Amino acid sequence: MTAPQSPSFGAGATDSAIVTIRRGLAVAPVLRNGLGLTFVLAAVGSAGRIVVPILIQQAIDKGIVGSGEVNVGLVAQLALLAGAAVCVAAVAFRMAQVRLGERSEQALYDLRSMLINHINYLSLDDHNEERRGGLVARVTSDIETLTQFFQWGGMAWMRSSTLMSIVGIVMLAYDWLLALIAFAISFPLALVLRAVQKRLVVAHGQARQSNGIMLGAIAEVVSGAPAVRAYGAGTMLASVVEETTERKARDQIRAALYGAFLFPSGEIFAVFTVSAVIGVGVWQGPTDGLTAGALVSFVFLTYRFLEPIAEFTEIIDQTQTAVAGLHRVLSVLDMPITPTEPHEPTPLPSGRLEIAIEHVDYSYPTRTGEHSDSAAGEGVLVLQDISLLIPAGQQVAVVGSTGSGKTTLGRLIARFADPTNGTITVGGVPLTAVARSNLRSRLVVVSQEPFLFDDSVERNIAFACSGASRDDVEGIVRHLDVVEWVDSLSEGLETRVGERGSRLSAGERQLVALLRAGLADPDVLILDEATSSVDALTEVRIARALDVLASTRTTIAIAHRLSTASRSDRVLVLAGGILVEDGHHDELVQMDGTYARLFDAWMSATSIRDGESMQPNK
Amino acid sequence: MLSLHPQPFIVAFSGAAAFALATVASSFAIRWVIDNVIVIRFDAGEVANGAVVTGLGLIIGIGMIRAVAVVFRRAFASIGMWRVAQTYSNQVVEKLVTQPLGWHRRHANGDLIARAGVDTEAAVSVIAPIPFASSTVLMIFISTIWLFLTDVPLGLVAIVVFPLLVATNVIYERAVAVHFVDAQNRLGTFSAGVHESFEGIQLIKSYGAEERETQRLTALAGDVLTPRVRAIRMRSWFEALLELIPTLTNIVLVVIGALRVNAGEVTIGEFSSVIFLFTLLVLPLRLIGYALSELPRSMAAWMRIQAVVTEPVEPDPVRKITVAEPGTGVHFNDVAFRYAGTETDVLGSLSVTLPSGSITAIVGSTGAGKSTMADLAAGLVAPTSGAIAITDGPRSIVFQEAFLLAGTVRENIEFGGVFNDDEIWKALRIAGAQAFVDNLPAQLDTEVGERGVSLSGGQRQRVALARALVRRPTLLILDDTTSALDPATESFVLDNMRTALASTTVLLIASRPSTIALADDVVFLSAGVMTGHGTHEELFETHAEYRQLVQAFEADRKEAL
Repeated sequence: MTAPQSPSFGAGATDSAIVTIRRGLAVAPVLRNGLGLTFVLAAVGSAGRIVVPILIQQAIDKGIVGSGEVNVGLVAQLALLAGAAVCVAAVAFRMAQVRLGERSEQALYDLRSMLINHINYLSLDDHNEERRGGLVARVTSDIETLTQFFQWGGMAWMRSSTLMSIVGIVMLAYDWLLALIAFAISFPLALVLRAVQKRLVVAHGQARQSNGIMLGAIAEVVSGAPAVRAYGAGTMLASVVEETTERKARDQIRAALYGAFLFPSGEIFAVFTVSAVIGVGVWQGPTDGLTAGALVSFVFLTYRFLEPIAEFTEIIDQTQTAVAGLHRVLSVLDMPITPTEPHEPTPLPSGRLEIAIEHVDYSYPTRTGEHSDSAAGEGVLVLQDISLLIPAGQQVAVVGSTGSGKTTLGRLIARFADPTNGTITVGGVPLTAVARSNLRSRLVVVSQEPFLFDDSVERNIAFACSGASRDDVEGIVRHLDVVEWVDSLSEGLETRVGERGSRLSAGERQLVALLRAGLADPDVLILDEATSSVDALTEVRIARALDVLASTRTTIAIAHRLSTASRSDRVLVLAGGILVEDGHHDELVQMDGTYARLFDAWMSATSIRDGESMQPNK
Repeated sequence: MLSLHPQPFIVAFSGAAAFALATVASSFAIRWVIDNVIVIRFDAGEVANGAVVTGLGLIIGIGMIRAVAVVFRRAFASIGMWRVAQTYSNQVVEKLVTQPLGWHRRHANGDLIARAGVDTEAAVSVIAPIPFASSTVLMIFISTIWLFLTDVPLGLVAIVVFPLLVATNVIYERAVAVHFVDAQNRLGTFSAGVHESFEGIQLIKSYGAEERETQRLTALAGDVLTPRVRAIRMRSWFEALLELIPTLTNIVLVVIGALRVNAGEVTIGEFSSVIFLFTLLVLPLRLIGYALSELPRSMAAWMRIQAVVTEPVEPDPVRKITVAEPGTGVHFNDVAFRYAGTETDVLGSLSVTLPSGSITAIVGSTGAGKSTMADLAAGLVAPTSGAIAITDGPRSIVFQEAFLLAGTVRENIEFGGVFNDDEIWKALRIAGAQAFVDNLPAQLDTEVGERGVSLSGGQRQRVALARALVRRPTLLILDDTTSALDPATESFVLDNMRTALASTTVLLIASRPSTIALADDVVFLSAGVMTGHGTHEELFETHAEYRQLVQAFEADRKEAL
């Protein structure tokens, strides 16, 4: 699969259900192919359900004229015919179901792959913390609502609509007056059911929400167990949870009560319709060709006619949920892919790469529509008129307080986003002209909180190169001088790191990230340093590994530890998005400016204050 | 299960019985109307108005009874079911808050949450259908008798077909469940993969691995497809079969009915009403198969709940701690700790006495046993051997990861205790949290969100610190608490604490030199053994490993100078 192109069409939040469904079919054409035949098969299947009422009518009117005058042969013939018809219908129904089921599963699989691919190429801004949950939901639960719909609702639509039409036609054929009476009386049922159903859905949603709150409260008791035990807060928390279980029980019961009224409303309409049909039928009598058999048959047909109404009211909601889910899925597919891939990429020159930044501004992108919530900081320049040249092989540290723009600068050089104004060139080629894969093979970012997959240490390192062998991994471990650390792990390279690397310490996770970067062997290394505290031994290992890594390539460290800055060839100091100081550590300390102040603060925090009294209390 | 809340179930069962009777009666009404109204009108040409009114009255009246009965059955079964679920949840939570930390550590968090949550729903899911199932059984029973009374051959058909339908359903539900469970598990794997992958998106982009990840996740999505398609194919056969059996039975009934009418044994009304009754029974018979198939899942959930609820509460480790002699803050006498079922001590024969009012830094590399020592002193876990004595009075511990409830700042500081505003503000001041709490929209009454999400890591940590301080503890344990604060804030907070809590014995797990600097004494742990105890200067002079560890920081710093 290749990087998707930005779609040229846009879907606003105002799309109607029909437009959404049409677009859904366009995106997943598997679904549409052969839909007509599936529908015909479903209709044949539904027709099986009217065989018995017709058989009864025929038997009563033609076979059983009275007691002692039964034409058993004719009844048997009719029964055989009916049996054959029913079997054909069953097979047709089965075929319709398999066709619809298989196609919808395939279509949803296609949609899912498309969605995953698109999301993987969305910019990091689109992947921020608040939105991540939403993106996961698009791929998992939203597609699942579509699956649910196709497994139950889709088939129900076909069966119910065909059944209702066929039953209606047969009823009209028997006696148009009785048929119209049945239709007229059962019509309000649809309204009643719809009303109850709506309330039921609301009540059910409410109940699920209460359930979520309850689970949240229980999760607090469980995950906060140390604090709860340490402070003896168990009784207090138990009472909090009990309030939530009470609320959940009440909401569930309320929803169940609406549900309890759904079935009987159908029943009540059925008896009134049947009574009206019988009453009018009896009053009408055998004139106009109505027969006893047809009237008895009507009793059965009425029930058959009412069944789909109840089913419809249920699947309407399922359909709405599914359309809403589809809409959310499509709106993700509509999100543009940024930064854009060049049409005719220029390859990066081989060898070490210099980086030139010219008059670069950056402000967070603003969006329209449903993503406008992310426009925090809209218009505020995070970086302002940055120009600098980093010669090939130089080791640069970028420092500055939180919000100074130092992380953003790293992200722009890595082309996780494009500057609002200005250009960045790497090895003389503008970043916008470099192919994604070309850039990634030459430039690597090691992030602040390195991400680890729930897998072995080896596989986490090997992630850097898809074809990396065990030897390659062991080679980089030796190269970065961390053999001793790997040996200290319970199962060496095979050690599982746990979810997000939780079984390793923060420092060890950084080591893995450095090994990964080492294996990729890029020409430019962008290093976003971690703030979290690391125990001393690991700290030493990290520093050693970093030295090896940095020595052979252009390195840009977004530094939090100013020791890193002091070791660099050059320090860039950012404040409020502006490059305020640029020079060697020694020069900058002499200048007594922003850097000197940052450095003083850092020094006092990381030292043992020898001069201070060690007996503060007495 | 039902005995937990018997009243609603009694009503539900009564409704169920009435429903069963009314269902059979409704076929009687149909039969009466066919024989006494329809056939007479169409054969004889005239029918008495009284008969028509009686017939329609029967249909409507019995239909109404059936409707009302089903409302009672369903409503009260649900009331009972959700009340039982609530009781189970409360019972599990009761255990969650009384079992000690050691018990919690032996159980996975997700598993415990499941037992109090989804398991309670699964366990009771079998309850709601019980009144329904009993009414179905009753219906089958009465119907069979009714059919035999009407005509023996018709009754025989019922005896064969009813069990056949139920059996087909049960077999189907069981068979298809395998694929559904399989699909559900694979979906779980897929979802976890998506979650992980999206979380690591920056890494993926850094290495240009978008395409590889798409392929990996798509393969996982494909795994979900296989069992689902199998389930669909299987389901389609069963659905066809379940449609076919009653329909073919009805056709057979028509033939038998015709023969019996011919023999003069049954009337047209009787034979039509048998088919009618059969039609009414098809749905309950299908559903009972579904209910029965739920039974194993439900039982498994019930057993998981009972395992927690009936497990005896383990003794609270705090009770093992004795009151230390005056002047002693913390006394460990030959204390060892190992996790149950393991062979090695996490902490071995630790003997140490810390004077009351002293500040001690616990230093050591990762896995040295620092947190275990903190947990032991806090009375969260009991020593495997040895004895611990602590000064009398409240103990507070602040963990590396601050735990905040979804509630207000005030609730998070009170945390089950009762404190006035002055006390709370004082604690916040010492914790260096006064300024930011003052700037919150509703100060102490600001909601912090689930796990305190609306606050930054450092702010959460300071609120947790205020929670510890407001209790004016005689022993305060800080488990690497201040590492979430920036160094300047850390030193501000620790300075505050020195002056405000002069008589409090403090244990600090330290990972930064500036934290060590604050302590009177250092306890140095190495692989679960205390290899050094003294002032920083003493240890720095005499203890090579300690020196190495501290020098690592110093080296980093000196290089910068």
